[in-house]
Amino acid sequence: MGGRRLTLHLAGINNQNFVMRDDETGSWWQQSTGEAFAGPLRGSRLRLVFADEVAFAIWRREHPAGRVLRPDASPAWRTWSADWEAKTGRMPVVAGVPGADGRGPLPPRALVLGLEQGGAARAYPIAALAGQGVVQDDLGGLPVVIFVGEDGRSLRAFESAFDGRRVPFFAKLDGSPAAAVAPAGGVAPAPAAAAASATVPGAPAAAAALMATAPPRLWVDGTSGSEWDFQGTAVAGPWRGRRLRPLPAMKDYWFDWRIYHPRTTVYAAGRDGGASR
Amino acid sequence: MPGKLAPSRPRRWPWAAMLLAVIAAAVMTVWIPAWTMRPFVPQSAAAMAWAYALLRAAPAATLVALAAAAALAWRLWGPTRWPGRLLLIVALVPAGAAAWMARQNLFERLFPPLVRTGFASPAAAAGFVDPGDMVLAIQVQGDAAAFPVRQIAFHHVVEEEVGGTPVAVTY
Repeated sequence: MGGRRLTLHLAGINNQNFVMRDDETGSWWQQSTGEAFAGPLRGSRLRLVFADEVAFAIWRREHPAGRVLRPDASPAWRTWSADWEAKTGRMPVVAGVPGADGRGPLPPRALVLGLEQGGAARAYPIAALAGQGVVQDDLGGLPVVIFVGEDGRSLRAFESAFDGRRVPFFAKLDGSPAAAVAPAGGVAPAPAAAAASATVPGAPAAAAALMATAPPRLWVDGTSGSEWDFQGTAVAGPWRGRRLRPLPAMKDYWFDWRIYHPRTTVYAAGRDGGASR
Repeated sequence: MPGKLAPSRPRRWPWAAMLLAVIAAAVMTVWIPAWTMRPFVPQSAAAMAWAYALLRAAPAATLVALAAAAALAWRLWGPTRWPGRLLLIVALVPAGAAAWMARQNLFERLFPPLVRTGFASPAAAAGFVDPGDMVLAIQVQGDAAAFPVRQIAFHHVVEEEVGGTPVAVTY
């Protein structure tokens, strides 16, 4: 912030969204927005560093030379986090905040992927995305595409336009010719992960097993017929090498997204235009 | 009444009242922000502003209060007999506790921060991340770092430098 490095600590709670305090100025920062709402830096906003939330197997495939945060030596995190998603999903929601009364379009703790573009905000219910390979939409005047990874939980959003032209995308069905060729032909080696998991029966999660055995999901654009990977890079076809511009997206509970985006709309699958209140 | 029984003694009740007021103020300084920020209740912007002001003032204010309480207790010590002196000592406990509490971060006691970050290769990480576990992935200047959500959800904030950019990874 302003050339100064801030050290942030967990310091409080504000309507179930955490508050961080920096050691250097003592200002309070809202986790959801990165904005300081109290203290000397009040009104400033931390720059959002692009990050996305994907399954470890997918990330590892994309970044074989990457690094993974090693856990704390104390076992506290492991005990606490063993079923943290289920635990947190059952927690009560602050009464009186918008979106918490259950009368809104979604249950308060419905997980959504939140996108913000050109002043417009929209929540995409993850349950609705999971069954699809791709979701196309227009948000704030921008054509948007969401790729749904093969685990149904890893999601990435991109601008789906090239040279000012909207480009339609389709998910390549699993078992499509390109995907089937490698194992059937026996020429291309199977991915290492697939080989490993074949010898280890009883993988913990169905999603994990699927990812280990299924080939990476691909998408095809309807303009050039090129094939795109989950990182938004064309890996085959006339547009090979081109990249889609990734859009920041936040996985959040509906009630929390609603608090910080009071004018948000909710994506409804199958409806024309995709938007409804 | 002590005044009647011991007319030579000065009136003690104003000092005792002051002592109680100082202790109450010290306790409120730490209790109000904690009460404001209890989970699962709504927080208003005004309440958060109060909580912030009190938390900022608390470390110094509670020390001053503790010193004042000690001085008042000392003032009352002489003319007080032993049962009363015991009460004076007990009365200093909440003032001391407030000064101590003002220096604690309850949230970090619940969710201790990851002080020193360490990283493993994707292959070595298989011991603590399952293939289907979600990670927060950041890539800056060719430096690709994954922060397993299970860990970040516990610590809530992890600080690290990725590709030369200091980042606070939060969940």
